[in-house]
Amino acid sequence: MGEAGAANMIRLAAGDNVGIALVDIASGGTAATLDGFALTALEAIPQGHKIALLPIPQGADIVRLRMAVGIARADIPAGRLVHVHNVASRYLNNDQDHYE
Amino acid sequence: MNSPAPSPSTASPASAPVAMRGYPRADGRKGIRNFLLVAYLVECAHHVARMIASPYQGDGVQLIGFPGCYPSDYAQRVMEDLATHPNVGAVLLVSLGCEEFQRTRLKEAIAASGREVELLTIQSAGGTAGSVAKGRAWVEARLAALMAAPTVPLALSDLVIGTKCGGSDGLSGVTINPAVGYASDLLVDAGATVMFEETCELIGCESHMAARATTPELAAALTAAVRKADSYYTELGHGSFGGGNIKYGLSTLEEKSLGAYAKSGSRPISGVLKPGVRPPAPGLYLMDTVNDGPVRYGIPNINDTQTITEMVASGCHLILFTTGAGSVVGQALAPVIKGVSNSRVFARMEGDMDINGGTIADGIEGVADVGARIVEAVRAAAAGQPTKSEALGHQEFVLSYKTYEPLGPGCLPV
Repeated sequence: MGEAGAANMIRLAAGDNVGIALVDIASGGTAATLDGFALTALEAIPQGHKIALLPIPQGADIVRLRMAVGIARADIPAGRLVHVHNVASRYLNNDQDHYE
Repeated sequence: MNSPAPSPSTASPASAPVAMRGYPRADGRKGIRNFLLVAYLVECAHHVARMIASPYQGDGVQLIGFPGCYPSDYAQRVMEDLATHPNVGAVLLVSLGCEEFQRTRLKEAIAASGREVELLTIQSAGGTAGSVAKGRAWVEARLAALMAAPTVPLALSDLVIGTKCGGSDGLSGVTINPAVGYASDLLVDAGATVMFEETCELIGCESHMAARATTPELAAALTAAVRKADSYYTELGHGSFGGGNIKYGLSTLEEKSLGAYAKSGSRPISGVLKPGVRPPAPGLYLMDTVNDGPVRYGIPNINDTQTITEMVASGCHLILFTTGAGSVVGQALAPVIKGVSNSRVFARMEGDMDINGGTIADGIEGVADVGARIVEAVRAAAAGQPTKSEALGHQEFVLSYKTYEPLGPGCLPV
């Protein structure tokens, strides 16, 4: 996937606690940004999905591009997938009828 | 190569500036183009106006118009804003003769702006053939002077720039939209005026946006604009967040909205605009493009072009347009710089795309690198270099019926 030496993950802003997978990252693989931040993915992170860059305690904001995009519903270790199973919206209940 | 820093910490873009020159206007603004505008005032005059303009496509003759026959304060205002836009040097109005549009009022406003203007009324100018002949003669008599018009030095601080997305994909919010946001920061730092819109796509971002407002009154106005869009679209039955979003990795409505909001960058927000309201000072503005009052004319903006029209009416010299699927649109009065979110579509449609943001997804460039390239593209377009859509002759334009109430208190900087 991608060029040799190319990043496979991006941290959109310096203070973000999640990165975005630029390509599918395998469980146990290394997720690395262009500027050299790297960690091990503890599970598969599909392209476009979020990976915890540091431990995110339950109740903490999920911060992407400087903005809180949700709240951690459980403690999320660094390297874990961050998605609907462990993130709650401040605006909509993900289990309710706003799904298509 | 730079690291993908989120927001520029220094005030000026790195590379050497391209010499930019503009056309000075009587109101103090400067144009980056000197278009001759042919404007029809009802759909019944559209064909004649197009016949007048069509031989001069590529010579800076642009076609716009309002199709409606019934009067509209909104359309009257937007047409006046566009006919006196800094990128316009002269205007030929084409009227059928019996439509309700206040053509004399529009002509007088254009003349008062210091521009040459002619009003051609088809019913008294010999019908189609006579009007086309008279119109083309008027255009031809002015083209040489418009092309040779004097220019003055132009700075980024003279520019008003709108940002818009259309045909977004799963990478838009990761690549090209954050890059436009970075470019927006650079432009605002250089003293430019930047506006973003799509309040209907900002639901969930309002508290973050309010925290960026320069005053508490503005914070309330920003929140109110997003709430208005939310209720308007809810009444229209348009959805918000769905399974497709989740499949692509978006976990919440606010994260989906951030994809569009990313284009606004990180600088303080100075005001809320409505179409036709010009920003009174440089800085970053939200444009509220949703109708006021009850749901009356259906979907507020029927397509991307209508929104761009409204930003141009508020004075935008050029538009930064992002796409994922691959939009090809331009605009009649403001050059459109198009950026695409992924290298696959860039390869397929390179002839239409000014910027490839897909290099971020490819892991070989950062947001800051692409953002700097966008600012260079702004400089080049402002220096007169045609954008891809301009070179291809794109002149998209849409104007339809809407209603707006005046801006409330606290919306604009004092």
